[in-house]
Formats: sequence, structure tokens, C-alpha cells
Amino acid sequence: MASIDIQGVGKSYGAVPVLHEVDLSIQDGEFVVLVGPSGCGKSTLLRMIAGLEGITRGDIRIAGRVVNELAPKDRDIAMVFQSYALYPHMTVRDNMSYSLKLRGTPSERMAQVVNAAAAKLGLESFLDRKPRTLSGGQRQRVAMGRSIVRKPKAFLFDEPLSNLDARLREQMRVEIKKLHRELGTTSIYVTHDQVEAMTLADRIVAMNAGAVQQVGTPLDLYERPTNLFVASFIGSPAINVLDGTLHGDGERRFVALGSGETMPVSDRIQGRDGQAVRVGVRPEDVQVSTRGEGDHTGQIELVEPMGLGTILHIRTVSSALKAFVLERAHYQIGTDVAFSLPAPKLHIFDAQTGQRLPDQAVSP
Amino acid sequence: MSTMPLYEEAAGRRRAPLRRLVSGLEPYLYIAPSVVLIAVIMLVPLTIGLSYAFRDMQLINPFSGGFVGLEHFRTLWTDAAFWLSMRNTLVWTLASVVLQFAFGLVLALLLNNSFPGRGVIQALVFLPWAVPTFLSGLNWAWLFNPVVGPLPHWMAALGILPAPENILSDPHLAIWGPIVANVWWGIPFFAITLLAALQSIPQDIYEAAAIDGAGAWRRFIDITLPFLAPTIAITVMLRTIWIANFADLIIVMTNGGPADQTQIVSSYIFTQAFRRLDFGYASAIAMVLLGLLLAYSFVIILMRQSLLRR
Ligand SMILES: Nc1ncnc2c1ncn2[C@@H]1O[C@H](COP(=O)(O)OP(=O)(O)OP(=O)(O)O)[C@@H](O)[C@H]1O
Ligand SMILES: [Mg+2]
Repeated sequence: MASIDIQGVGKSYGAVPVLHEVDLSIQDGEFVVLVGPSGCGKSTLLRMIAGLEGITRGDIRIAGRVVNELAPKDRDIAMVFQSYALYPHMTVRDNMSYSLKLRGTPSERMAQVVNAAAAKLGLESFLDRKPRTLSGGQRQRVAMGRSIVRKPKAFLFDEPLSNLDARLREQMRVEIKKLHRELGTTSIYVTHDQVEAMTLADRIVAMNAGAVQQVGTPLDLYERPTNLFVASFIGSPAINVLDGTLHGDGERRFVALGSGETMPVSDRIQGRDGQAVRVGVRPEDVQVSTRGEGDHTGQIELVEPMGLGTILHIRTVSSALKAFVLERAHYQIGTDVAFSLPAPKLHIFDAQTGQRLPDQAVSP
Repeated sequence: MSTMPLYEEAAGRRRAPLRRLVSGLEPYLYIAPSVVLIAVIMLVPLTIGLSYAFRDMQLINPFSGGFVGLEHFRTLWTDAAFWLSMRNTLVWTLASVVLQFAFGLVLALLLNNSFPGRGVIQALVFLPWAVPTFLSGLNWAWLFNPVVGPLPHWMAALGILPAPENILSDPHLAIWGPIVANVWWGIPFFAITLLAALQSIPQDIYEAAAIDGAGAWRRFIDITLPFLAPTIAITVMLRTIWIANFADLIIVMTNGGPADQTQIVSSYIFTQAFRRLDFGYASAIAMVLLGLLLAYSFVIILMRQSLLRR
């Protein structure tokens, strides 16, 4: 177990920059999830930590020691690949014990450790089989087993669940979380699935286009996204974004939408009068009423029942937005509804930079 | 069958044995064309050729052609030149295959890394394969010739040879001339096939092994070799058979000489058939060679199968 420090790390392939100035400190025993859209450099960062890619700029420290020039085998970390990368010519047992064998572990000890790991992962009956005779989920477990047997300083996971079906993914997600609680090993987990990110992480690192956007607890990112990218990447169904202009006439602050409608916003929002802004509101924060109680009106365009609740697509004069409602009311397509957007739940971003407007509560 | 009208039932029953026969024959009818082709093109000439082994077939003697039974084989048993050619075949095949394989593997491993100019080098490496064997035989014969070639002088300078002489005319060393030419000519075959096999090994398995703690040597032993094993088995088997039969370079470079010292079995067959025009005796030797190579292939195929099953 160890802490991992990433300082000013950058990566370029030839002249093409892929990662810019990544700073990240991961504490001993922490479970950190790197999340971001495809191609943003998550795998690249992970592979740099593992030693599979060179580091163009900056330093990576594992347990306080700079590992930039260290070969993967000397970094004492374990990695679970998206493809599992099991050794196809070895049995499950040999796959799991390979790293121990390379370290010259006595064979009784090796058998003991492998059996314990197999028992933990429910792999006892597969130990003498070849990986090709296993199902995807079983292979995934073998890949996990291979990394836990030698108690590495850290686990690196690169989208380990993305080849599994939704049901199995959910189950493995829980098992990974349990395993982490049991072993307490520092873990870095890459995914583009934000549900996985939210449920597993102690802290989430949201990345986009090779740069870290925000680091924080799952709820931090959900409730106080630092910019539009994070706001729209985290959360499902995705956040609604409306264009408008910020106004403040003395006491009251409000946002005027393109249609001329206005909505009040928190007084604490810092911004210029007349500043172009984008307003984010999560679907579950849209308060819909069929009895006409609300500041805005619109028409129901589409209804998506989800079991737990219902997603309503509402078209207003100037825009479209989604609302997530829990009650089982029977919404008809085409009916008019009223809704309101509660001021404290609105996320206001600068239209140009996409950055969240500061609010007063933070600065005394 | 289910659509057959009821009133034809009796007739149908009478035809049943014939039908069964036809449907039993059906699969054989489908493969008949290829079987006939193989028989006509391969088996018939093979059988005729083998039958010569039991007949007195001499092109210069119009009265030959009579059946002589095992006479040729009895002669063979006591033919010193034949036994020498057997020993030479062993040396020739073993040395050629081992050296071709070793250099081919090294080359394939080198070419499997990316470096600037790899495409050009790769094309150059495969060049010898495109040179006709007769040309490369002549080339190497000249290279070994102290009058026109540099090799004897270099070898003498390095102390490998006491004097810059033609090794092709030295009874003890002559066999190494064609072996060197053969190795040069045959390396590309191993390089191509092994490179193809190397490139089919998934990269992430190497990465997993590196993270598991394997250095370059262990990765080679634990990943590369097991992945290459089936390819190695099949290519070594094929090349062994080809090389054991491959008389071109020897005929061109030494013609089996000096004094039959570089004769391998297949060149000895060639000499018997086309120089001494004794087709009967040549066929008898060929039959022995065929038997040996069949036995060899059988063993290798069994080994490969047990390897794959593991
Ligand atoms: N060997 C390479 N040469 C050049 N560019 C590369 C190389 N490897 C990756 N890249 C580029 O680096 C960027 C980041 O790739 P990376 O694999 O880290 O993305 P990712 O965030 O893991 O995406 P995904 O979620 O699809 O796996 C991509 O734009 C990719 O095209
Ligand atoms: Mg990736």
C-alpha cells in the first residue's frame, strides 16, 4: 500500500499532446476513479503510472519515490486490463500464481495464497481450466485474482467491467468495492461509466481533453460541478442547460432566458449585470406540476418511464428540457404542464469560459 | 419422404435398399472429383515410380525393364556411397535447419521492434528468398572461389582456414559450402513465418507479464516461446523435409563431389537417375528416402498434436 503523487505530468506522442499538466495526489488506501469521455487520456495516465508508457514531463511518485525511470516490474503495482490480458496458455492457477513464481515464492505458500484468492472470488472450481474455457465474468475474476495474490502497492483498473453485461457489471462493481474495503489497497480505476465512478469512488477525477477538470467526492462533483463539462458529464439523465443573461436590479438577481422569461437565482451569485450565462438544472430539480403551479409552462413532448421514476421531455417556447419525477402520475403526451426551477438548485456558468460563477458563501 | 403419396408405399419399400445404398454413397460421390484428381495427378505417377524400384530400368539398355524383386535394395545395403550420402543428408539437414531457424528467429525478433527504416530493412531481409536457387548456388560457388571471391581470403585472414583455398574442393569441408548458401537462402522463410506469428501475440499479454514482474528474458520464455511453439513445430518440420530433398545447391556448387563426399541422398538419386541413367536403382533409393521422411513427419505431427492439446 502506498500513496501516489502525480506532479505536473504531461504526455505527448511526437508533437501531439495527449495529457497537459496533470496534478493529482492519491492518499494511501484511497479509491480514486478517473472518468471522462473516450480519448481524454485516462488510459494513458494509468499506463504511465504502471510504467507501460514513458512520461514526457513531470514526476510520478509511488510511496514517495520517483518512479519515472522504473520498469513496470519494479513498481510493485498490479493492473487489471479491459481485455483481461490473461495468459491463454496457462491454467487459471498458473495465471494467478505467475507473479508469485517470478518472485520465487515457495510452492506451498503459493498454493495457499492462490487458493485463498480463488475462494474469495469464487474461482475454486476453475483453477485447472484454461482462460478460453471461461465466461467473460469468470475471466474478469481471474484477472482480479491475479492482481490481489501478491499484495501490490496499488491496483490499477482500466475499464475492467466494460466487457460485461449490465447485470454482471453491477454485481462486479459491488464486489470490487467490498474487496477494496477488505484489502484497503490504494486503487485507481478508469471508467467512462459515471455510475461506476459515482458508486465506487472515494474521490472522482473528471478529465477532458487531457486535462483534469475537477477532483472531488462524488457528491461534490454532482452538486457543485466546477464547469459545464463536469456538470453535463456527471449525472444521468444529463443536466439541462439553458442559455440566458444574468441581471441584477438592486436586491433581486435573475436570469433572463432568450424567450424573455425570467427566473430568480440566488443572491449570492457573483456576476456582472448583462453577463451571458448558461444555467444548468438537474432533471430531478425541475419541479413539475399538473395543476398549473409553476413559474414556467411547457408541453410534454415525450415520456420515458424508468420504473424508479419517469423522465418527462418538456418543450417550452424557447427551449427543451428534461424533468425527472418520482410520482407515478400518468402524464399524457401533449398536455400542458407548469414547472418551476428552484433558485438554490440552479448551477450558473459563464457562457464563454464554461466556468461556474463564484458564489458569495465561499468568499466571506 | 413425408410427401410421398400413400399408394406408392409398396413400390417405395421395394426401392428402399437401393435408396439406402445411394444415400450411403452420397458423401463419397461429393468427394469423388478431388479424390480422382489426386489419384491421377499424384498417386498414379507415384506408384509407377515406385514400381521401377523392383525392375531393372536402365535408359541406355533397351532390353532392360524386367522384374528383379528386391535386387536393388540388396545392392543398396552394401553401397558405401549410399551410406555416406545418408550421413551427409543428416549433417546437411540438421546444420541447415538449425542455423536457418536460429538466424530466422533472431531476425524476426529484431524486426518485431519498430525502428526507423524498418520497412526497407524488412524488404531487404526477404530478398534472398526471391533469388533463384541456381543463381544463389553459383553466386556462393564464386564467393568461395579464391580466384574471384573474397571469402577464402577473409577466412584465411581470420585464421579459420590455414590458406586461402576453395573449401568446395576440400573433401572434409566441402559440405559446408552448400550449407552456408542454404542458410543464407532459407533464413527469410523462418523470419517471415516467425515474424507473422510474433505479430499475432497480443501486446497486452506482454504488458500484463511486465507488471507481474517478468523481465525481457522471462517474457520471452513464458510468453513468446509458448505462442511460437506450434509455428516452430510446423515450420521446422516442413523445412526439414524440404531441405532433406533439396539437392539444387549441392548439384550446382559441388555436384556431389569431390569424390561423392558431398552427396546427399536426393542428389545421389539425381546422379543415379540422370547421370548414370539407372532409373530402377534411383527409384529404390527414392523409396527409402520417402519411407524415412514419412516416418519423420508422422513423429513430428504426433508431437505437435500433443503440444497443442496441452
Ligand atoms: N501510441 C499512440 N500514438 C499516438 N496517439 C495516441 C497513442 N495512444 C493513445 N493516443 C491518443 O491519446 C489520446 C488518449 O488516449 P487514451 O487511450 O488515454 O484515451 P482514454 O481516455 O483511455 O479513452 P477510452 O475511454 O476510449 O479508453 C487519444 O486521443 C489517442 O488517440
Ligand atoms: Mg482507455
